[in-house]
Amino acid sequence: MIRVTNLCKVYRTGAHQVTALADVNINVGPGEFVAIMGPSGSGKSTLLNLLGCLDIPTAGSYHLDGMEISGAGNAALAKIRNQKIGFVFQTFNLLPRISAVRNVELPMIYAGVAPRERARRAEEALARVGLAERMHHKPSELSGGQVQRVAIARALVNNPAIILADEPTGNLDTRSGEEIMAIFQELNRSGATIVIVTHERDIALHTSRILQFRDGRLLDDEPVADPLRALVNEAPGLAEQAGPASNSAAEAGPAGSSVEQSRLAGSITAEAGPAGSRAEQAGSSGNSAAEAEPAGDNAAGRGVAR
Amino acid sequence: MNLLESIRVALEGIMVSKLRSFLTTLGIVIGIAAVIAVVAIGQGGRAVLMSELEKIGTNIFAIYINWRSDKPVTGREFNLNDVAVIKDSIPDITHLSPSSQTMGDVRGTKDKKYSQITGVSSDYSYIRKINMKEGRFFTDEDDAGKRRVAVLDEDLAVQMFGRSQALGNKITLENTPFLVVGIIAKGDSALGFSENPSVYIPIQAWQVMFGEHIGMIEGSASAREKVDEAMGQAVKLLERRHHDPGKYAGQSMEQEMQTANRITGVMTIVIGTIAGISLFVGGIGVMNIMLVSVTERTREIGIRMALGARRRDILVQFLIEAVVLCLLGGLIGTALGIGGAYLIARIAKWPPLVSWWTALLAFVFSAAIGVVFGILPANKAARLNPIEALRRE
Ligand SMILES: Nc1ncnc2c1ncn2[C@@H]1O[C@H](COP(=O)(O)OP(=O)(O)OP(=O)(O)O)[C@@H](O)[C@H]1O
Ligand SMILES: [Mg+2]
Repeated sequence: MIRVTNLCKVYRTGAHQVTALADVNINVGPGEFVAIMGPSGSGKSTLLNLLGCLDIPTAGSYHLDGMEISGAGNAALAKIRNQKIGFVFQTFNLLPRISAVRNVELPMIYAGVAPRERARRAEEALARVGLAERMHHKPSELSGGQVQRVAIARALVNNPAIILADEPTGNLDTRSGEEIMAIFQELNRSGATIVIVTHERDIALHTSRILQFRDGRLLDDEPVADPLRALVNEAPGLAEQAGPASNSAAEAGPAGSSVEQSRLAGSITAEAGPAGSRAEQAGSSGNSAAEAEPAGDNAAGRGVAR
Repeated sequence: MNLLESIRVALEGIMVSKLRSFLTTLGIVIGIAAVIAVVAIGQGGRAVLMSELEKIGTNIFAIYINWRSDKPVTGREFNLNDVAVIKDSIPDITHLSPSSQTMGDVRGTKDKKYSQITGVSSDYSYIRKINMKEGRFFTDEDDAGKRRVAVLDEDLAVQMFGRSQALGNKITLENTPFLVVGIIAKGDSALGFSENPSVYIPIQAWQVMFGEHIGMIEGSASAREKVDEAMGQAVKLLERRHHDPGKYAGQSMEQEMQTANRITGVMTIVIGTIAGISLFVGGIGVMNIMLVSVTERTREIGIRMALGARRRDILVQFLIEAVVLCLLGGLIGTALGIGGAYLIARIAKWPPLVSWWTALLAFVFSAAIGVVFGILPANKAARLNPIEALRRE
């Protein structure tokens, strides 16, 4: 899914040169849930911005979803950002003066989706993050956690190949952070590839793999043996569906899961119960679902819309 | 992103801060309103002036002593024979009248006044399209017989005789009694074109009282197109008869109208240009605010780019925003301009001539202003790098 080789990023500010990233090599497979950790200034955001095609590397190459990114022109990069990447910012970056649902529609505007279809998908995405009733509110009328959920809905609405989040819980309290992680876990279970940057080990332990950075270099790459489950015992918002599903995870077979998964990808919350459980099973048991698809990588996540 | 979508996004941007958008476009509003109103008022004024002049007659002319020549005035420049010969030998001249004026004591039954006394021939009533309120104008026979008959302007009749009957009464001019045979109806000039109220008497009676000299000759031609030529021939004839080239000058209504046309045209252009400059300044105002808006909305631009907006999309968004702003301003300005033109036309009592092409031109022009003054800010917005834009506060 992501293949980064010898990636370098050097910032030049006047006479100074800051090497934010030096020779980074990373592979992230489809359906993985990765956390990037490291002290402040270690280059986490720089890496994520490069992965998100928001910035251009000084050297090295970057393959995303089978495409070589380094060297792509402005228009091509815009298209990649639009179609392949869902970016979630620490500071949310919603447009303040338009409603949640209009915010979620934005990526689809640039993708050329027809207005009616756009509204439908935006509402679906908001329902998926548990904000169905709040969709006509403006960002200023929502809590921090809710705003971040809108941002996540916006990130996933174009069914991107990968979701990138730079400290998505950084501006939230523990509880809201948990809720956000529950959503990410749910998305990951339904097949999405996710990379998040975080300071907090507690947050990172919700993922399945932690990359440690220091001074622009990758220090450590450890799998998480037994990822924490967000909101296992409680059930607000989206967790209502995620919770019970996890109990019956083992019951579903790989074949059934792939079918269910593709069908469900668009609306997790809409279809709760056994269906949700099978989808979840597929996500957590390696990549059984993805393997069943000819396309290979998380086809499930995009299967419905394409 | 298609055009419709871009317009929708731009409208959203405009609606988000309505007051600011309105203030931004105010310069355009005023500029367009001014241009439309000025042109409409100018055209209306010109139309009124022309119709007034037409009412007086488009085919009339006057020949008088050329005051630009430094030849001495003898008082014998015109005589009654001149008038007869000219009328006979130039077929395009349909009516011709000598005209002499003086001031004198005029007394009626009620009042007396130092007033204008004009001597003309019966042709004068045709040349000036005189409309009788009561009675008749004097005839060639009255003239030839040097009869002491008079025709009064309505105002003067009221002044001299009050409510009592002027017609058939005697009016005393410089102690000589004249019989009032007619009263001239007051004209209905919108511009208030009216000469001093006068007493008209036959020219030959006038000459008996005030002397032989004739001030000028007035006439009318068979058609508007013929007037200048006929007048020229008359001037030549006079010069020949009096062996005095350069002594006479003619002035036709045709020339007056052309002059009036030119003057009102020039005035419309001058004021219109000033209004146009205010429109230009308005355009700069739009550009100014759009530039500020781009700086202020750097983050928005970053967000849009991060979500997949191409530079072209950003460029088009800001360009359309500027154009839509200017068009809205143009629309409001057109409405105000037309309203203003109607208001002023109503006060001045002349037709509001808002030509559809001025409105169309204003519309196209405001869109053009939007493009011209929007391109700079839009380009500035589109050149931003997404991560740079996102980093800025
Ligand atoms: N635009 C820039 N210009 C110059 N230097 C920069 C720029 N952005 C980042 N840097 C430098 O690059 C290094 C890495 O920054 P980066 O933002 O990636 O760190 P980070 O790991 O995200 O830190 P934090 O945890 O505080 O967010 C830092 O030393 C920083 O000063
Ligand atoms: Mg950072």
